[in-house]
Amino acid sequence: MKPSHTHVLDGLFAKYQTEGFYDELFEDLEKPHGHCSKLVNALDRLTPEDFRGRCSLADLTLVNQGITFTVYGNEQGIEKPFPVDLVPRVVQASDWAHVEKGLKQRVRALNLFLHDVYHEEKILRDGRIPRDLIVNAPNYRRSFKDADVPGNVYVHICGTDLIRDHDGTYRVLEDNCRTPSGVSYMLENRLLMMRVFPSLFREQRVCPIDAYPNLLLKKLRQLAPGDPTVVLLTPGIFNSAYFEHSFLAMQMGIQLVEGRDLFVEKNIVFMKTTRGPKRVDVIYRRVDDDFLDPLVFRGDSVLGVPGLVNAYRAGTVALANGIGTGVADDKSVYPYVPEMIRYYLGEEPVLEQVETFVGWKPKELEYILDHAHELVIKCANESGGYGMLMGPQASKTEVADFLVQVRANPRNYIAQPLISLSRSPCFLGDHFEGRHVDLRPYILSGPDGEIDIVPGGLTRVALRKGSYVVNSSQGGGSKDTWVLHK
Amino acid sequence: MGSPQVAMLSRHADSAYWIGRYVERSEATARMIDVHYHFGLESGEVAKALRWSSILAISGLEKEFAELYDKEDEASILQFFAFDERNPSSIKSCIRSARENARSIRDQISSEMFECANRTYLAYGPWNLERVLAESPFEFFQFVKDRTLLFQGIMNRTLMMGPTRDFVDCGRFLERADQTARILDVKYFDLLPHYSGEGVISDSEPISVGGPIDIHGWTAVLKSVGAYEAFCKSYSEGVTPKRVAEFLILSRQFPASVRHGALRVQSCLDRISNRSDSDKLKSAQIETEKLLLMLNSKNANDIIREGLHEYLEEIGERFELVGEAVYRDFLEY
Repeated sequence: MKPSHTHVLDGLFAKYQTEGFYDELFEDLEKPHGHCSKLVNALDRLTPEDFRGRCSLADLTLVNQGITFTVYGNEQGIEKPFPVDLVPRVVQASDWAHVEKGLKQRVRALNLFLHDVYHEEKILRDGRIPRDLIVNAPNYRRSFKDADVPGNVYVHICGTDLIRDHDGTYRVLEDNCRTPSGVSYMLENRLLMMRVFPSLFREQRVCPIDAYPNLLLKKLRQLAPGDPTVVLLTPGIFNSAYFEHSFLAMQMGIQLVEGRDLFVEKNIVFMKTTRGPKRVDVIYRRVDDDFLDPLVFRGDSVLGVPGLVNAYRAGTVALANGIGTGVADDKSVYPYVPEMIRYYLGEEPVLEQVETFVGWKPKELEYILDHAHELVIKCANESGGYGMLMGPQASKTEVADFLVQVRANPRNYIAQPLISLSRSPCFLGDHFEGRHVDLRPYILSGPDGEIDIVPGGLTRVALRKGSYVVNSSQGGGSKDTWVLHK
Repeated sequence: MGSPQVAMLSRHADSAYWIGRYVERSEATARMIDVHYHFGLESGEVAKALRWSSILAISGLEKEFAELYDKEDEASILQFFAFDERNPSSIKSCIRSARENARSIRDQISSEMFECANRTYLAYGPWNLERVLAESPFEFFQFVKDRTLLFQGIMNRTLMMGPTRDFVDCGRFLERADQTARILDVKYFDLLPHYSGEGVISDSEPISVGGPIDIHGWTAVLKSVGAYEAFCKSYSEGVTPKRVAEFLILSRQFPASVRHGALRVQSCLDRISNRSDSDKLKSAQIETEKLLLMLNSKNANDIIREGLHEYLEEIGERFELVGEAVYRDFLEY
């Protein structure tokens, strides 16, 4: 690669420190990565006033458009804008090619695994994954054994969280195979950046991502023959991701329905319209398994549709994602994903994972209990940054308290070494500082075996100094993610 | 070309209908209070005729108001109608409810419509009674009117012709025509003694009626439904009670007249229920026909001779029947 001209960074980046972390924009203190140098130079030349002005414009846009998420447990002002940092995160073409290949391989294996555990159980019978671990997983749905789904696809939309470690290696931290959220922020962040920073795009060749709603709709339509009626099922306006639900329904031009808009008659799902009942063929559901059908799962659920699960089993309606996919993103099952890839595909995993200790193995449990202060301990089935302990940053009492829960229910916990996540510059009032980031691409699988990923994903950033927790419920924000053209 | 959307979720239709009603109600309330406030400034005499309590009579909220306030003075009335969220018809409540309904169907309406409803809601927050009285009531009422009209303009420009729009319009015109009828009813009662002294209006009105105060009062009635200029264009002979009643009830052209509203509701309902495809009329269409029949079978002289109040009361009941039938036919689920 031709060395970029050495521009002295004496503007907003003048005092920027990488502090020993892998940095998404900088190779070392003086020098940006080759593919980032134009961007870094352009940002460096801005004045703090200019940057602040663009931040205000961005904030105003988000508030006016009602691009918000809902914070639970907070009675007042429950809708909050999701903070966006305006320094883009850049991914070079060769890195993306590697990531894309790895994600496709991974999701293919996860779908084969789900089909297998709900049918022949070959991988369990062959002893490659302990049977106990699977059939006792809280999100394993025994009632779905031998139910067939279109094209044997269970996970149509997968959100896989990637992190980069101290040398920049991409590693899978977890998969989200149930109802992954955040894609609307990926799309909106791009629109926002083009609105407030059009000049930055001029010298870059950034891959567009706006095909996502189209690709998603295509996959959903493939789940039923003819010209199917596709709807998006939301828990309603009080759900934290309601903005996303309405955004996606609008982008795809499909109806956004709540449980009370649907009913089931003779195993057929209908929606209540101004012209009477209309049959529904495909449901992109953003309601968890537990709340989907009060006749089968939680009887107290008012979000669901009585009879929906039976209709799904009968094959008169398709659901995306399928029911019972939570067994594939269980954190205790995660250590076995590389094994699934080898078993079903006969390939070596393209993407690395993070070393993981599982509570259900006595030896590993012992290690977790002895080394808690060095580890990140997580509840196997929680998400959103809840139910976890950051050992190195926790007090002695916090560690001791958490371990009481671990001992009480070891099956429910896993532990990983603290990975020093890569950082990316963020704007803090008048200068840039590094903050830890991850990346969640959205992988779409169709019944024809095709897998599509729009180049990029949602880059989440831990805005609090030193924090490793990127979840929006825990003080996280996001950034636009630029995958560059080759 | 995609096929045109004909059916929509009943819940969505319900929200669309209420967006129409709430947006219209906030605009109508702003207009009405604006006129009261500004006409009261000029003349104590007029202020008496345009009593604040008549706004309560128009809204039908006397009881609710009495439970919450001690006095029927300017500050209490303004607070109750502009800012009190305990009053579901206050401008503040209407703006919040319109925005909530827009949020619950934001995938059905255009992004620009939601953004407009949302921005209006956010911008309304900092207003309160003290600020209105200290700064400029004019600016405040103008702000409400501008925002509600902007919303309607954005809808006209960005929302597909189809059931969502028809339900918004249906709610909007029902609300508007109903409001016009109520204002006329209450104001006619208020202004009558000033005009004739004996409470009876003859068929052949004199060219010039009453004194300047009467004219001032009737002008206020017209302005409170945004009808003054349109009226002047239609009647060069000047303002008389009969002409005002005729214009506000029977005009086909004026966008806030009772008849215009009923005709617009009828065309919305015809499109929603696809009249050309079916011989079976929905009950909402039948009720609208009955309302129009009432409007088509009398002229202003008949109406006034037989009793304007009774006539407007029946109109109000007919509007209610239309509203109930809309619910029965399309929205109940």
